[in-house]
Amino acid sequence: MSVSYWRLRDRYYRIIGSICDSCNYESFPKFNTCPKCKSHDISDKEMPHTGKIISYTLSYESMPGFEHELPMSIGLIKLDNGVNIVSQLVDSEVEDIKINANVKAVFRKINADGNSGQIYYGYKFKVINA
Amino acid sequence: MIIPTMKSSTPVYISGYGGYVPKLRLPTSDIAKLWKGSGSGPNKTKSVANIDEDTTTMAVESARNALSMSGLCDIGAIFVGTESKPYAVKPTSTIVAQALGVHKTLAADFEFACKAGTEAMQVITGLVGSGMISSGIALGVDTAQGRPGDNLEYTASSAAAAFVLTNNSKRSVAKIEASTSYVTDTSDFWRRQTESFPRHLSRFTGEPAYFHHVESSVKQLLSEINLKPSDFKYAVFHQPNPKFPIQVAKRLGFTTEQIQPGLLNPIIGNPYSASSPLGLVSTFDVAKPGDRILLTSFGSGAGSDSFSLLVEDGILDKGPNYTPLTDIINNNKEIDYATYTKLRGILK
Repeated sequence: MSVSYWRLRDRYYRIIGSICDSCNYESFPKFNTCPKCKSHDISDKEMPHTGKIISYTLSYESMPGFEHELPMSIGLIKLDNGVNIVSQLVDSEVEDIKINANVKAVFRKINADGNSGQIYYGYKFKVINA
Repeated sequence: MIIPTMKSSTPVYISGYGGYVPKLRLPTSDIAKLWKGSGSGPNKTKSVANIDEDTTTMAVESARNALSMSGLCDIGAIFVGTESKPYAVKPTSTIVAQALGVHKTLAADFEFACKAGTEAMQVITGLVGSGMISSGIALGVDTAQGRPGDNLEYTASSAAAAFVLTNNSKRSVAKIEASTSYVTDTSDFWRRQTESFPRHLSRFTGEPAYFHHVESSVKQLLSEINLKPSDFKYAVFHQPNPKFPIQVAKRLGFTTEQIQPGLLNPIIGNPYSASSPLGLVSTFDVAKPGDRILLTSFGSGAGSDSFSLLVEDGILDKGPNYTPLTDIINNNKEIDYATYTKLRGILK
């Protein structure tokens, strides 16, 4: 596992973002300065694990290492707190992936460094109540 | 040798439980078509982990469900029972702990073929009952392996089950009354280091292995706590195939009706360490306060754990986020054998 991924494991495992202690503005990924009020009083906050699709695409091309997952659905999701997040959509039929569909975060393998290297885990989303 | 029935000095409860079954199903007729030309396996379908699922991901999903139901956060132990660790060396349990945001905890992986999950329950019962920790999570989870063309390939499947055990009676789903364990050195099924698939001794896995150990642990438990099969509303046995649990229930004096709610092999196969724990999840879903449940696992090598559980009022409030196991199982999609080999990395 790369050190940079290890440092961000709570972002990927638990969808940890941040909240401004001054104005309560929430963001994912984390920020150090509040983009709304410029405060530096920032705390970690786990984002909601549910939301709605606001846009999506179906990709037939992949980055190296993701060839076995084609075609791959990618969604732009508005979480229940209003924060937007981009994620792979899994366990969801193409006809169920549509704007305003309800989604829920799931814990999945993202990739691995070959057969002997480390495994990268993180969040993906799936359509619920289709 | 039989060890005495285990009872904790202070009460230990199950305050949350969760099951996870992957969405994909492989009809066993597809396996039979390839290797035998026609027919099917003893179970109609088996659950298959997707390409991005493994023991760790399924453990996290089931643990999140169990933790959500329990409402507890003071977790002092996370024990993952499995024989399909993604890493030969590196614990699955620490990844689960990180994903749950739990750090001041014991974490370990247990292995005992198909009974590692119930073993984890027994150890956490001891830790909670002795006062060393207040709560812990026990998991049984596997992406079971079966060599292509072998009889095991029809049944070996994927799933997970998790239980939060605690000394807090407030939201008790069930009280753990007692448990027992029975083991011998019996080589009915094994997998050597570096091998991808287990081997087994075919019919030998029945009488001297499954039946001897399951019957011994159940008889020991019933004798020590002075109960009989009719005192139990439900019973859950390990399910290597659809026949064995029905046969052993009959031999021990349990009825088919008692084991029906937990009998999942015909539709999902045998998810090894998750088999009997997931049967318990399914049984909890239909149980009512006052029902007594027998849970009996079997692990090759060989051994069997038996529990007597008394269902309590917490079963009536599973929380707003709970999804019944039936709904999870019914949300499925069939795949063919070619897709199965791709997803599970069998083609090399």
